[in-house]
Amino acid sequence: MNQIGAVGLIAALVFAIYGMITGAVAGKLRSPRILKSAQRAVLGFFAMTTLAVVSLEYLILTNDFHSAYVASHSSRELPLLYKIPVLWAGQEGSLLFWTWLLSIYVALAVLLNRKKNRQLMPYIIAICMGVGTFFSLITFAVANPFNQLSLATASGVTPYAPPDGNGLNPTLQFHSMVAHPPMLYLGYVGFAVPFAFAMSALMTRQLGDNWIRVTRRWTMVPWMFLGTGIVLGGQWAYHVLGWGGYWAWDPVENASLLPWLSGTAFLHSVMIQEKRGMLKVWNMVLIIVTFFLSIFGTFLTRSGIISSVHAFAQSNIGSWFSVFLAIIAVFSLTVLFLRLDFLKSENRLDSVISRESGFLFNNWILLAAVLAVLWGTIFPIISKAVENQTVTVGPPFFNKVMVPIGLLLLFLTGAGPLLAWRKTSFQSIKRNFVAPLIFAGIVGVILFFAGVRHLYTWMSLFLCAFVAASIIGEFYKGARTRMKSSKENFFSAVYNLTMRNTRRYGGYIVHFGIVLIFVGLAGQAFRYETQGLMGPGDILRAKNYLFRCESFTSGQRANYQYERVSLAVTDDGHALTVMRPERRFFIAEQQPLSHVALRSDLARDLYVVMAGRDPDSGKAIIHVIINPLVQWVWIGGMVVLLGTILALIPSRIERQMADMHKSHAEAAEAQHVR
Amino acid sequence: MSARRFINILVLALALASIAMAAQSPADIEHDIGNKVYCLCGCVTSLNTCPHLNCEVKAEMQKIIRADLSQGKTEPEILQDLVDRYGEKVLAAPPPHGFNLTAWILPSVGLLIGLFLAVTFVRRWLRPAVQAAALSGGAPPDESVRAAVEEEMKKYVD
Repeated sequence: MNQIGAVGLIAALVFAIYGMITGAVAGKLRSPRILKSAQRAVLGFFAMTTLAVVSLEYLILTNDFHSAYVASHSSRELPLLYKIPVLWAGQEGSLLFWTWLLSIYVALAVLLNRKKNRQLMPYIIAICMGVGTFFSLITFAVANPFNQLSLATASGVTPYAPPDGNGLNPTLQFHSMVAHPPMLYLGYVGFAVPFAFAMSALMTRQLGDNWIRVTRRWTMVPWMFLGTGIVLGGQWAYHVLGWGGYWAWDPVENASLLPWLSGTAFLHSVMIQEKRGMLKVWNMVLIIVTFFLSIFGTFLTRSGIISSVHAFAQSNIGSWFSVFLAIIAVFSLTVLFLRLDFLKSENRLDSVISRESGFLFNNWILLAAVLAVLWGTIFPIISKAVENQTVTVGPPFFNKVMVPIGLLLLFLTGAGPLLAWRKTSFQSIKRNFVAPLIFAGIVGVILFFAGVRHLYTWMSLFLCAFVAASIIGEFYKGARTRMKSSKENFFSAVYNLTMRNTRRYGGYIVHFGIVLIFVGLAGQAFRYETQGLMGPGDILRAKNYLFRCESFTSGQRANYQYERVSLAVTDDGHALTVMRPERRFFIAEQQPLSHVALRSDLARDLYVVMAGRDPDSGKAIIHVIINPLVQWVWIGGMVVLLGTILALIPSRIERQMADMHKSHAEAAEAQHVR
Repeated sequence: MSARRFINILVLALALASIAMAAQSPADIEHDIGNKVYCLCGCVTSLNTCPHLNCEVKAEMQKIIRADLSQGKTEPEILQDLVDRYGEKVLAAPPPHGFNLTAWILPSVGLLIGLFLAVTFVRRWLRPAVQAAALSGGAPPDESVRAAVEEEMKKYVD
């Protein structure tokens, strides 16, 4: 199977190179025959990377420790659920996985555009296959997952397999870790497609709004995956790392946030181009930046250039990525520069106070956030290069810089949809803003008297109330209009309203999800923690909760030994639950890990960690954290996901518009062919 | 009670309350410092969030902080003590001096430049209003036409 996988990898590289060349030639010569050949190369690329992935999974599942990769990252006792993610647990496997996901995206792009966008497709294939060539090349030449272990003996080199593997990093043996990396990768990789559409539109001078309309979904899908991956990563950190938080501004976390932020700016900015024919150059810049940052994110995660708690696989692939990033930057900016004349704005702004300006300022804030996060992330490298000084840029820096930016963004999330396109009259501002502001004001006063005095926390919750009220107001106004005109009841009106314009109302739901996430983030200001040594019968108090140590137990499971303490918890004297934090010792990996005990409700999480044993008394070191509102972060993440899925569903209006555009595009294409 | 006396008592009560709120227990200061310094065991997280069980480096750093606290040192003095022992890399944020200042200034400068550019673009795009009016068919539309157009745009392209 090792040989089959290796052959698959070489064949994938060949198909990628062939697809890149034939795609470019088909674009240049406008040859349908060569285009067909390029399309087949894409399918071949998909088939061969699939073969390589299946081969590697087979080696992992069958404990074939002849494979250096399997011996390094798996073990016999590793449960099946955690054997599957071994594929992306190490450098070599994750790069193969990246290549495979790219092949899926490109194959889908080809299959879904067999009869559409025929002028754009050759260069789209060429660019995506160019990216595929890079990833298959480094997977083949630098980080090959099909290398075999061997022993040098007197009679020559003989294959070797250790009796067991080193096992999977214990921190990766967690359920959300099974989904988190694929989600992130689907996000990173997916931005290659809208980038390719943009570059192809530039190269073919097809710079109407067609490429924007077509790529909206191709951008939303990776944006959705990336966002989901970020939330799942937060869940993993919260449950596994044992410090009671979910976001630490770690370089690898930041690397995933960067393309998500610029992608968010792009998704908002394209609306201005669709509706007003403006910001054409800017949208090109945004998609280039987003793709660049997604490769940069992969580079940061995989190169080990910056120390990170998440950098599980590091090697010397940094120079390869640096060259590739330089190629992307030079290529895309050159093509953009050469086509600047075709990207003239079709319209002008009618008023400073308009939806267009709102989007522009939203883009300003998002890009400022990108700059701040990027600068903070790479500053240690720059400081080392300039001053030869090792500095750390962690949460105190990012919290100070990013909280005001986040609050501004939250305000625009609420204010933007209340502004009308073209021009917002004073009456309109009064009509739309007064109710949300009054509601937010009431919430603000209640919060103040309830003891919320921390400025940023108060502002965050005040703005959350404002944005939530503005979103609910939009649904209410739309539903009321439908109720009057169609005699529907309120719920039918809300449903029909949403399904009639999924993009708009899906967007509002996404915004509502962001509000919920901010509510959860604000809860961190009220976090409480305490620590104590506990033996049987000992009691630890944390605010109104009492934790009474009931018993210690220990035992062994498939791949780890554990030591568990049972804590009976009371809330103001009433029995609440029994919590059982564990300390685990993973045998194959020879690593200890704490398993957090968690009791969650919408108001707060009780988060208990057994940090170890006190060497003198033998008592358990118990760390208790009361974490308010954390669940809202996860609920908000789910709401964002649902809103995005809703916005991806074509609405009736959109289908009508698509038919209209299709007939226009076909007419234009027919004219072009003539 | 006269109004003046009432105000005096209120001011005194607020001052005492703010002093009480500002006063931190040694445990609070230790926790604050734990968020402002990194554990140097290689975990790449703050001292408070080091995920390693029984981390010796963390224990040693906490011992230094507690010893400093028991000597009555203030938070800045304890942070300086840690910097003297471990170097500036122990701080979770670069201290604002020398080249490190750029870390703090650049995001704000970027924000301001972005604002300047956004305002400049808005002004530039606004200027040829006459041209826009001419292209859209003469005089700017009145409020009722504008409202109708907005309504149509909402229906189809929002």
